[in-house]
Amino acid sequence: MPSTMGPGLSSLDPALVARIGSLELIARAVVEGFLTGLHRSPFKGFSVEFSEYRQYLPGDDPARIDWKLVARSDRYYVKEFEEETNLECHLLLDISGSMGYGSHSVTKLRYGVFLAAALAYLMHRQRDSVGLTLFDERVVESFSVGSRRGHLRTLLSALSHARVGARSDVSKPLGQLAARLRRRGLVVLISDLLDEPAGIIQGLKHLRFRGSEVLVFHILDPAELTFPFEHAARFEDLETTAQVVAVPDLVRRYYLGEIDALQERYRRELGLANIDYHLLNTARPLDGALLSYLSTRGRRM
Amino acid sequence: MSLSFLAPAFLFGCLAAGIPVMLHLLRRERVPLVRFSDVRFLRRAHVEQERQRRLSELLLLALRVGAVVLLACAFAHPFFGYVAELNGSATVVLVDTSFSLSGPGQQAEVRALARSAIDAAPDDHLVGVVAFDEVARVVAGLGGSRSSARAAVDALSSRPRGTRYREGLAAASALIGARPGRVVVVTDLQAAGWDLGSGSVSPRVELELRPVAAPTGNLAVVGLEVEPDSTSIVLFQVGALTGDTTVSLAVDGVAVHEESIRLVPGRSTLQFPIPLPPKGVAMASVVDPVGYPVDDRRYRLLDPPPPIPVLIVIGNRPSRASFYMERALAPGDDRNPFSVSVVSTVSLAARPEILEEMSAVVLVETLGLERQGRDLLASFVRGGGGLFVVAGAAFDSDLVADLFGRDTELGLGAPQTHVDPITLVPNDFRHPIIQGLGSLASQLSETRFTTTFTADAGAGTVIARFSDQSPALMEHEVGTGRILILGSGLAANWNDWPRRRTFVPFLHESLAYVADHRVTPQEFVIGDGPAGMSNEPGAFRLAERPGYVVLNVDASESDPTPLSQERFASAVDRLAQAAEREAEVTAGEQEAIQRMWRYTLMLMAVVLLAEGWLGRRMMA
Repeated sequence: MPSTMGPGLSSLDPALVARIGSLELIARAVVEGFLTGLHRSPFKGFSVEFSEYRQYLPGDDPARIDWKLVARSDRYYVKEFEEETNLECHLLLDISGSMGYGSHSVTKLRYGVFLAAALAYLMHRQRDSVGLTLFDERVVESFSVGSRRGHLRTLLSALSHARVGARSDVSKPLGQLAARLRRRGLVVLISDLLDEPAGIIQGLKHLRFRGSEVLVFHILDPAELTFPFEHAARFEDLETTAQVVAVPDLVRRYYLGEIDALQERYRRELGLANIDYHLLNTARPLDGALLSYLSTRGRRM
Repeated sequence: MSLSFLAPAFLFGCLAAGIPVMLHLLRRERVPLVRFSDVRFLRRAHVEQERQRRLSELLLLALRVGAVVLLACAFAHPFFGYVAELNGSATVVLVDTSFSLSGPGQQAEVRALARSAIDAAPDDHLVGVVAFDEVARVVAGLGGSRSSARAAVDALSSRPRGTRYREGLAAASALIGARPGRVVVVTDLQAAGWDLGSGSVSPRVELELRPVAAPTGNLAVVGLEVEPDSTSIVLFQVGALTGDTTVSLAVDGVAVHEESIRLVPGRSTLQFPIPLPPKGVAMASVVDPVGYPVDDRRYRLLDPPPPIPVLIVIGNRPSRASFYMERALAPGDDRNPFSVSVVSTVSLAARPEILEEMSAVVLVETLGLERQGRDLLASFVRGGGGLFVVAGAAFDSDLVADLFGRDTELGLGAPQTHVDPITLVPNDFRHPIIQGLGSLASQLSETRFTTTFTADAGAGTVIARFSDQSPALMEHEVGTGRILILGSGLAANWNDWPRRRTFVPFLHESLAYVADHRVTPQEFVIGDGPAGMSNEPGAFRLAERPGYVVLNVDASESDPTPLSQERFASAVDRLAQAAEREAEVTAGEQEAIQRMWRYTLMLMAVVLLAEGWLGRRMMA
């Protein structure tokens, strides 16, 4: 159900958490068939740590009953485990100048921050390791993967302090990340992709070639998608400050054709590379993005 | 034909065209700034859009400037006319082609002076050539080509016509228009050229005179009078001619007399006791070795003029007054100046076509003249006919007021009987009727009037009065015709005029005068004759009438006496302001007729509508 995001939304807004919670319920149904659910790692992981006992309840898997304890106490208990997975998730957030654009209360950067925070939170809840890279034409800030709660706070703090940077060059952080990755993982790119498509696609393909699952969130403002301007104006580029005087009625058709062609190119070429591409409208809620993540993660795992 | 402006000062309003240009530029700068994520796609689209926008902007600017210019033009009251364009300066060479420049060597001097005037024109001047004598004609319009002006001058030659400086200067002024410049007059400065009025040029025009030397003398035949038993030749001699010369008289080309005479300066009359035949064309000529050839001969038509058709309108039966009138107009000899018809007032209404053949109508009685007959008479006079009204016993005093009251303001009262008869006194001795009577005019006072009409001449002219000062003979112009009203009848109980010596001459002069508008003369001065006539002196036949007419040159042109340059220039300057006003009136009339300012404003409204539509489309 589409709805616009409220102006008071922040990265840890309770409302957002509640929405994520509802997504967990949706994800449970998706994962049930072949994964262990959001509260359990889908992996028989390399490291399984005992958490606690609880009383057996009807419906629990009898295989999880601790028979030794039954022998000692004549009571039926099942073991609860906290499992660590080997999934490393890298969040790449574009903070270039163009991400600072917003035709309403939420800019693309804020929207990206919300999305990155939500994903990090969700990953942390799933005990996945998550890292974060903020970039424009260079890597501005980078955090290696981690799964501790303190790490999550560090990431959320970095996100909350993210500011609009300079010009964008998506291919550069992609190359640096590809060189740094030691294990296959999940790379999530959050960007408006207003850069040279060839370089971006090449970088993403390289990551995919290295064995990582790649998920691309293409964030665009509704004004960028519909070009709703009515009067002639001098349009100034947020990154280059270049100016163009244009009459919307005269350029709208061409502009929309170009932006549609750009989306279509990403969708087609990334699809061919088995890279998930999702277009996000900043006027829409984040549900779709999280579901997309879960879907990709589920396929990857 | 060129576009001119009645109030060109308003054209300075065109400077306001800069306002839309400034607004246009300022408005462009006020396009709001919108920060956008990436203008790559806009810039690509902008390449095509910018072309359209620039074109639209230029069109929009042109429309706005055009609207302002049209508004200024509307206030300047444009019109298409023959007034010259305002830009630049001009030199107009005004060349005299009258026959007073046809003396030996004068034509070559005229051309040389005109060519030198053309060559001396400043390089930035447009040059035009106007030739004039009695009429003016532009032989080379204003232009930059000196060669075409020189060619026009070379093609000029003198014509047997008089000089009218007024005409030449008016044409030069019209050609030069309101622009500054010079008018160079190539002329002999002949004083007679100013006889019919002064000329004028704009105060902005410099007048330059290039005088042509007059011949050393001139001898001309300026008159030929034929009497029953003698012939008079009038000569005019001026200049250094001395000694004897030969005068010849010929009829139909056959010499009838030749005589050597001694020259007398000025005007002289030679009378020869030679009767000429009653028909033919007489020509008198002199031998003049130094003057103008064209005035050395003069022609006179000996044929009596065709009788003037006159209709006498009487009452139901002939009266004594009509009898007197008929006998006086048609005495019965072979040289009747009038062909008289008589019709009753009743028959006139039944035969309206009879008036078409008449030059004059004598209305003696009005009894039986009903509305139809009155209307016929009224339209006859307005169409150029002459009406001689004899207000006698059977005359309706309200008739004239009924027919022409609004035109004449004439009022006839009641008949008045005088116990002591009154007489007739000429009121205007210069009037052609009185002058035609000659010495007989003094005998008018011998006539005794016992009954007269009281009258108020209104807007008319009183030619003669009764001795009690009441109007006796009145004249009115109605339409293109003329009315004469005699305030007394011709019966014996009214006056004894029919028995007086002055009666017949008076009637003849009066009817000849009143019928003048419908009588074609037999002699013309060259240039005043019917269209298509020759430009040479002589006798000619006209297609529309039998017999001959003769053409002579204007006798006043034979006197080459010049004015000084100062007097010539002062004559022009005196009317310079008047010429300016006249030019403005002419331009104003043209502008008033064309009213182009209305169409200019309409066009401006259309331009503004287009500007509004285009502007909204661009800003959308």
